[in-house]
Amino acid sequence: MSGRDGADGAVVRAVLAGDTERYAELVRRYRDRYARYAAQMLGSVDAAEDAVQDAFVRAYDRLAECRDPDKFVGWFFLILRNRCFAEQRKNRASAPLEAADAVAAAGQPDGEMETAERRRALQRALLELTPEQREVFVLKHVEGLSYDEIAARVGTSVPSLKMRMHRAYDRLREQLKDRA
Amino acid sequence: MTDFHPLVKQLLDGEVTLADLPPGLRAEGEEALRLLGAVHREPVTLPAALEAGVMTAVRHRAAAPSLWRRLTAPREVRLRVRPWTLAPALAAAAALALLLSPPRPEPKATTVTVRFVLFAPQAQQVALAGTFNQWDPAATPLVSTGASGIWTATLTLPAGEHQYAFVVDGARWVPDPAAPAVDDGFGRRNSVLTL
Repeated sequence: MSGRDGADGAVVRAVLAGDTERYAELVRRYRDRYARYAAQMLGSVDAAEDAVQDAFVRAYDRLAECRDPDKFVGWFFLILRNRCFAEQRKNRASAPLEAADAVAAAGQPDGEMETAERRRALQRALLELTPEQREVFVLKHVEGLSYDEIAARVGTSVPSLKMRMHRAYDRLREQLKDRA
Repeated sequence: MTDFHPLVKQLLDGEVTLADLPPGLRAEGEEALRLLGAVHREPVTLPAALEAGVMTAVRHRAAAPSLWRRLTAPREVRLRVRPWTLAPALAAAAALALLLSPPRPEPKATTVTVRFVLFAPQAQQVALAGTFNQWDPAATPLVSTGASGIWTATLTLPAGEHQYAFVVDGARWVPDPAAPAVDDGFGRRNSVLTL
């Protein structure tokens, strides 16, 4: 944080007061924060880009509804999350498997074919989960959040999250065995 | 049977270690850890052009909120007032911007409480959209005062100039007949309230 960048709350209040250009500070600050989450949820970086951009515009449209401007990023996450869930329901019948491969292969060093193949297999299996199951898996095992942190973020109890996750483990095992 | 053993699920959750598992579950535990080992955790960086895309949309909304709303609203604006209701309509409209009471007589108030009134006997719902609520037609509904056809809303607004319009039945944008209006630059009229 530098220059005239301020706390989230100060920026949100400035934008609401008419200083529209300061919204760019929030975009720059959080553009990549949930990019990996969106890419994993949607199965492609391109889809994540569309979702994040759309979520920022929606957040601007509804900025006056952000009850605690100092917690803008948590509120923004929920908008992006809704966008991801809606996108998945829309495209439920056509999981983008090639895109899943692209996510799995991104940043993959050459020569680690076995690792790359296992990643691809897991990525495809993740796309077979329900969005709710996939989300809890991504937040815990990709983003590294604890069950308590996930519960606070998505508003679901820890026992419910665990039940969802344990079903996800079983489904992933089944999917990966089918592919083996 | 493809379900992981409950202890193996605890292993995946990070609540126990492989060494905590009984020998008969070690192989299943190792299989589970291989699954987690395939998780892709590299950061994803989105193109810098995303910021430009967002800000283009945001500037468009900030510069022309009325145009944005017009794109999603019917073009025709018509408020039907029967002749025999014209007198009460004008009387009700004249009550617009009735200053109830500033919060404090001194120092000079920075906010003012204002009552907005519209006579619209045929409306099912009426809302207020303006510069004070980002022209959101869902943000500030008016309340019907019974069968009289009079709709009201009381707001506390910052001192200064505000532009607004009534939104009848979620679609028809109606300038206030009792308030001065300005052209919004797109062929419509916005009412102006100076506090």
